[in-house]
Amino acid sequence: MPIVIWQLIFFVFPLIFLVVLSFWLVKNYRMVPGFDTINWVKMFSKGYFWDAYWRTLGYAGVATIVTSILAFPCAFALAFKVSPKVRRWALFFLIVPFFTSYLVRTYSWQIFLNDNGIFNTLFALVGLGPFQLLNNFFGTLVGYLTLCLPLVVVLQLISLANVDRTLVEAAHNLGCGRLRTVFQVIIPLAKIGIILGAVFTFILTFGDFVSPYYLGGSKPPTLSILIIDTTKSGQQWPRAAVVAIVMIVTLLTIMFASIAAAYRKRT
Amino acid sequence: MSDPSPSRPLVTFDGVCKRYGNITAVHAMNLEIYEGEFLAIMGPSGCGKTTSLRMLAGLEEPSEGEIRLDGKRINEISSVERDTPMVWQSLALFPFLNVQKNVEFGLKMRQVPTEERQQRARKWLERMEILDLAERDISQLSGGQKQRVALARSLVTEPRILLLDEPLSALDANLVVRMQGVLSRLQKELGITFVYVTHSQSEAFAMSDRVVIMSQGRIEQLGSPKEIYRSPASRFVADFVGANNILSGTVSQAGEDLEIKTTLGAFRCHAGTSDPFAVGDALDMVISADLVQISLEDPNTQNSLRCRFISEEFVGSIVTLFAELEDGSDFKVQTRQRDLANLSLGEESSFFVSWNATDAHLIGAKE
Amino acid sequence: MSPGASNSLILRGYVVLVFIFVFTPIVTSFIFSVNSDRFPSIPLGHFTTHWYETIFADPDVWDAFRVSGIVSITVAVLATFIGFCTAYTDYRYNFTGKALYLSLALLPPTIPLVIMGLAMLALLARINMSGEIYSIVVSHVVLCSPFAMAVIRMRLAQINPDLESAAWNLGASNWRAMREVIIPFCRPAIASAFCLTAAVSFDEFAVAWFVSGLNKTVPVIILEILQGNTDPQINAIGSIVFITSMTLVVLAQLILMRKTINQTATGI
Repeated sequence: MPIVIWQLIFFVFPLIFLVVLSFWLVKNYRMVPGFDTINWVKMFSKGYFWDAYWRTLGYAGVATIVTSILAFPCAFALAFKVSPKVRRWALFFLIVPFFTSYLVRTYSWQIFLNDNGIFNTLFALVGLGPFQLLNNFFGTLVGYLTLCLPLVVVLQLISLANVDRTLVEAAHNLGCGRLRTVFQVIIPLAKIGIILGAVFTFILTFGDFVSPYYLGGSKPPTLSILIIDTTKSGQQWPRAAVVAIVMIVTLLTIMFASIAAAYRKRT
Repeated sequence: MSDPSPSRPLVTFDGVCKRYGNITAVHAMNLEIYEGEFLAIMGPSGCGKTTSLRMLAGLEEPSEGEIRLDGKRINEISSVERDTPMVWQSLALFPFLNVQKNVEFGLKMRQVPTEERQQRARKWLERMEILDLAERDISQLSGGQKQRVALARSLVTEPRILLLDEPLSALDANLVVRMQGVLSRLQKELGITFVYVTHSQSEAFAMSDRVVIMSQGRIEQLGSPKEIYRSPASRFVADFVGANNILSGTVSQAGEDLEIKTTLGAFRCHAGTSDPFAVGDALDMVISADLVQISLEDPNTQNSLRCRFISEEFVGSIVTLFAELEDGSDFKVQTRQRDLANLSLGEESSFFVSWNATDAHLIGAKE
Repeated sequence: MSPGASNSLILRGYVVLVFIFVFTPIVTSFIFSVNSDRFPSIPLGHFTTHWYETIFADPDVWDAFRVSGIVSITVAVLATFIGFCTAYTDYRYNFTGKALYLSLALLPPTIPLVIMGLAMLALLARINMSGEIYSIVVSHVVLCSPFAMAVIRMRLAQINPDLESAAWNLGASNWRAMREVIIPFCRPAIASAFCLTAAVSFDEFAVAWFVSGLNKTVPVIILEILQGNTDPQINAIGSIVFITSMTLVVLAQLILMRKTINQTATGI
């Protein structure tokens, strides 16, 4: 019971307030309560808003696909090809990054990806580059991976480890080759963990501003950067609220669609 | 149950061993399985029966020896390439496919075109009388229905051999009887080889042409159910199969009519065509519980014993009586309920058991 | 080598690669926190504790650690408590609107932190509650309780459902049964939830940045430094945070392991 109250007060209420806020005006750097749709109209008419929207959507989409694909062989190997002892240690070490600062890890990557950074120095040794690894989407993607990869591996691993091995044997027994079994049998059985990992990645990357800001050059901006910029300069909180609401609606839609797809009974 | 065709064997186990580290699950196994026969492999847990089946399916690799299918060595052929479909104890139906797609699976793996495989799958569903369940989800099926799906799935590819690993162990008792009938009929209609692993004597005996009894990784006896029931080859088999009473003793008079001396007295036994025994040989005398007559008065024959009634087990038309002999050992009698009704036996009452000299079976006792 | 064996080798090598990727930034952070160069690059400079000395001398940093410490412990206690109640309610009861109740409880992690921060600050500022330590606590509890709930719920799923009934059957009241049976069983999960929520709160920066005002938490300080220039102080701070968190986690695991071993020995 207590949680309902707490959540209502401190979670639902602020979000509702955000909606209310989006209809207010800003005069002389102060907010004036009222009801005016001007913020919505202004935002939706701005080119840069829609640019940022589709860009953020695209970034999150790419991040989701890349992370899920990169995580899978790792999770698969840990579920099927190593001893339970190794698996437990691996799980422990995958949870470790969770206790480090995401910010600090991002900062560390700058050292590597810089124009004079470690990677480019190494490339120079073999006569390659220098490559632009920072302040573009590649940098952002590295940041996203740092944020999400351990989590996705863990989620996929849990599902994969719970796959009933006799079903895999049955597939082999019926003539299904090893690789084919992975796609025809193992992945459908581990569907939940895979989809959960993808959903979390999408949500985290859609709303993240650290990676695009510190590793991606912050321009052109993602929606999250847009919110920060809008509030920092000019105190345009209502406008920021509009962006925030659009983000929430998008995320909720995608989340419910994915969960529905995950639990849909196949005929 | 027909006699198996003793032509060329379909499957041969030649000196097959399986070791896991220090533990030997199967010792040098030699077995021939014939085309078209229903073979049951029976034994207590850990006897190696499932391991042997899995080696045949290619799910385990023999540590030694050769397995041949149709005369060709298959040790190196992976389970994916062998055509040895198996029905699992847990049935192993794919939860993410409906009934029809489950059955189609094997055909899909063999690149059978969609039209054809749908047709063949549906034909099999019809044969197993579950066509109306084709679109259903696996989780919505009852135990018996799942059984039929598992069978259809394995047989749709028309293999020459079907392996079954205790498939009926999870079913209710009355369903088991029905499924036994289904399996029996199916095997006879199809004429393919069934290799059936079980720990249940009733299942093995009810359906099979031949039975292999295994214990601790070795074959104890191989023969028809009747042979094994009436002529157990070792003490283990005598204990494991049927309800047998075993009296140990030594031969005091040799010949066609032996006399065997035991701690409870001397008994006559007709040796028949089994190994000739000499005076002084140690052996076990096996008296099947259903070949024993009971009476309240002393029947005055040499082959009789006095015993004390302990309890009875009533399983329908057959009653098993548990009694104690004068030396404290157990004795079992199986008789029909209505025959027993004529005698009134109470707790601790004493009665006599007797049997014919020709009804006892002899096993040479191993040291 | 058989195809099966070489596949395994390749896959295991891939696992190693993934781990290298995940740990590289952490390891380099450590290395450069004791490296003398201001702008990190190879070849390395010489070993120095200069950066650590700098941050230990900075009162803002001490303040930030103090605030972070207070906040995360408080958050951990509250969030674990709320998480436990929610998990138990989900485990034990079925009522109309349960789906709604659950979605409410589990929704917070799906809202981007930037938005939560914005919303929180907007609301709290209007009612003059922002800028204080409790503002951060309040926001973090909302964010962290779902994690606590998930961890404890998973543990509850493992309990033999008859245990509680047995306790009632033997005369224990609802409350007593919970205290004697459920809570001891969930102890490892409760401890994990505690550490997890403390860690999440400690590292959470987006909402904290919005809401904390002058009472800055450690990540907020990091953000500020980051927005200035590259500065190895960050590495030093990061390393300290890491060591603190890991020590707590390892400690918790050790305590739990001893507990579970004792419990298994006594047949629970």
